[in-house]
Amino acid sequence: MSDGFIQPLTLILGHLYPDQLNLYGDRGNILTLRRRCQLRGIELRIVGLGIGDALAPDEYDMLFIGGGQDKEQAPVAQDLHEMKGIGLWAAIEDDMPVLAVCGGFQLLAHYYRPAEGPDMQGLGVFDAWTIHKGARIARCIGNIAIRWNGQTLVGFENHGGRTYLGTAKPLGKVLKGYGNNAEDYTEGAVYRNAYGTYLHGSLLPKNPHFADYLIKLALQRKYRSEFHTGQEKLEELNGHTHIDQVPVNNSQQLERTTGNIVPSLLALDDLLEWEAHASILERLGLHSEAVAVLATQRTRKG
Amino acid sequence: MRKRRLSQSIPPETDGEQRESQKDHSQSANQRQQDRKKHRQHVLRAGLAVVAGRAAGAISRRLHLGGGTSIVGIVAQRIYPEIIEHLATQLECGSVIVTGTNGKTTTSGFIAAILRNSGLRVWHNREGSNLMRGVASLFVICAKPNGQLRRSGRRAISILEIDEATIPQIVKVIEPRVAVFNNLFRDQLDRYGEVDSIISHWREAISQMPASTILVLNADDPSIAHLATGFSGKVLYYGIDDPSLDLQRQHANSEQYQVSDARTCSNCGREYTYDLRFYSHIGHYHCTNCGFHRPKPDIRAIQVQLDSFDHHRITIEHTAQQHEIIVPLPGLYNVYNALAAITAAHALNTDWQPIITGIEQSKPAFGRGELIQAEDRTIRLLLAKNPTGFNEVLRTLFSEGISRHTLFILNDNIADGQDVSWIWDVDFERAVGHTQTLVVSGTRALDLAIRLKYAGIPQKEMTIIPHMPLKGERGTHQTRQQRGANKNQKERQTLPDSEQINSQIANSYGLKSALDTALQQTPVGETLFIVPTYTGLLAVYRELEQRSLTPHFWEGKEA
Repeated sequence: MSDGFIQPLTLILGHLYPDQLNLYGDRGNILTLRRRCQLRGIELRIVGLGIGDALAPDEYDMLFIGGGQDKEQAPVAQDLHEMKGIGLWAAIEDDMPVLAVCGGFQLLAHYYRPAEGPDMQGLGVFDAWTIHKGARIARCIGNIAIRWNGQTLVGFENHGGRTYLGTAKPLGKVLKGYGNNAEDYTEGAVYRNAYGTYLHGSLLPKNPHFADYLIKLALQRKYRSEFHTGQEKLEELNGHTHIDQVPVNNSQQLERTTGNIVPSLLALDDLLEWEAHASILERLGLHSEAVAVLATQRTRKG
Repeated sequence: MRKRRLSQSIPPETDGEQRESQKDHSQSANQRQQDRKKHRQHVLRAGLAVVAGRAAGAISRRLHLGGGTSIVGIVAQRIYPEIIEHLATQLECGSVIVTGTNGKTTTSGFIAAILRNSGLRVWHNREGSNLMRGVASLFVICAKPNGQLRRSGRRAISILEIDEATIPQIVKVIEPRVAVFNNLFRDQLDRYGEVDSIISHWREAISQMPASTILVLNADDPSIAHLATGFSGKVLYYGIDDPSLDLQRQHANSEQYQVSDARTCSNCGREYTYDLRFYSHIGHYHCTNCGFHRPKPDIRAIQVQLDSFDHHRITIEHTAQQHEIIVPLPGLYNVYNALAAITAAHALNTDWQPIITGIEQSKPAFGRGELIQAEDRTIRLLLAKNPTGFNEVLRTLFSEGISRHTLFILNDNIADGQDVSWIWDVDFERAVGHTQTLVVSGTRALDLAIRLKYAGIPQKEMTIIPHMPLKGERGTHQTRQQRGANKNQKERQTLPDSEQINSQIANSYGLKSALDTALQQTPVGETLFIVPTYTGLLAVYRELEQRSLTPHFWEGKEA
């Protein structure tokens, strides 16, 4: 055993504007990521990035940005441009996983055009734009389910603005609910590893597969180079050396697959999460999807 | 049908025109006659509205269609849209309106008790009747078929708790003598929209109030204190001046999560600086940029002392005079409600004696710390409908370091707000290690259970009883009941038979079994704390009512 690489896996999550953008239980997403890392012996450090703080892309492994009120979104939009824009772009181009919910999603697109007042400039990460068509057009409010990667994502949406995608890929297809604009069945947007979505409720607690997917992306990105540089280190990471330090069922397991190295996360007991997920699907009348979700969970157990 | 035609035949606009055109010949007998005729028509319509409304209410009650209160107002307003205005103007002592996110019911209950003690005849709308139709119902129920309020005039006053978003409508028909604004927190974002939209509703309403209205405002809530700007009438503030309540002093070492719903200055947008912070954004604040600051309260609590769970001893200072009052309700938020009521009573020139006895003799309002005896156990109902409300309930429950028996009910019906993401803004971490028994129920029991799990309460320490089974689980042998919501999966697979014992505990769905389970888990002689959202509270009430443990409470049906 060499002393060179005995340390638990660590990820650093940059939480953008935790005080300004926290309207719809965005804290739930943070708590979920933290807990799901913790249970696997991964240390997740959370760093709040407020107005005036610069964003140095090398310091983080993941970024999260939530939603807020229009009043609070304007100073945030300005700060995002002036203080964090370049860093955020660099991070995204470097495949850092980014989750942007609701207001945060709008701010990462080209612009938000409110019903009154001037446009709010976004970063243009997603080739998309948002238009608020005035108070007379009803807000998109309610439970929503979308199809993502062959699986479902459930949440709650509450937004006045309608988002239209240019060349950006949507996150998923709306099964029930409004989605980006209540017209074209698209929901959210994806660019590299940046994900924008209107789903809150909170999103990650009831969608553990999506939470784990983001964690995996972050691990992969952070530790990929190390996997490649030394076989030894990989062996150590693979649970052989730090097994003494962390309880067995808490240790992180990394598996090597052909060619690429993909960390596979320790499975957790997520039955409660999946039942909550299925109950939203059932409420939306998506019974076969709900049955499929529950069946998958049961076979996993069996 | 005849009723409808009658109401259409006298549109209110033409009344006004007639009145103006007749000014010229004001003394003519002809006009006096017409005036009398018009008056008779108004009285006739009001009377008809009263009769029809009350008949509809009686029928609805008889047919058990519902509480039969809101229907009274709906029918009466349909027949005579100005019914509220018509009846409210007959009150000799006018009306007091109370609004805010939390504490409307308790505050208006306090005010009603104080004013009754001072010898006024008080009409008070109840919980849940705080929309236009509820107010109309209140007046119609108090009116005679001749369109007059019963024993109208003579020292009568109405205390109206009004929904936040209904304030602009109510101010159009009632000129309040006193308008109380308690606080503003995020609540039901799916219904009200963003918090700021409530502010603009209130600003609009205040701009319509006459200068004779006295505003009673919470000095410690920046969004409320700021409502005074631009108002030409008299403003009275209340607040707490006891530095020992500051959160930082109380919880210097522990991690605190507080949701703030008014972070930035209403004038200039700069973040507020706090000298003292009591909870959420309530405290002593100022803006370093524009100088906006907490106004000096007229009625201030200089000392707040918690004697026991529902016994606050507060010292109030007003114009150099001090008074000691016991607030017989749990939670610091109820101290604010008492202060609001005292200030409102003060605005109506009430003496201190009825104020003190009114507060001290108050019973908890519907579900606000109310005590009910059931099966040799005590049930205490603590409504929690938004993050700040829930946080304060949890703080009240767990601050003494005593483990509690608890039943949490999370519903997502329209009256609760259909978006439950707010539970992630509640500091459930505070409950960890303090729940002796814990039952989780409601239409969103699973969401709440996940929240509690992520707060750090092990799943095996809670009993989850959702309102109904998942359809996808039907026909499979391994249902929720058999899992008992308790065991981890390995035990479950290896010991299928022992599960049967557990299934006794959670072998059911729905509120009835949640209540039964929670009561069973509470030892005889101890207290079960039920923390429900709004419709959860109504359901608990209905359930207790069927067991003859509570009086009928129809008013709650409306919201």
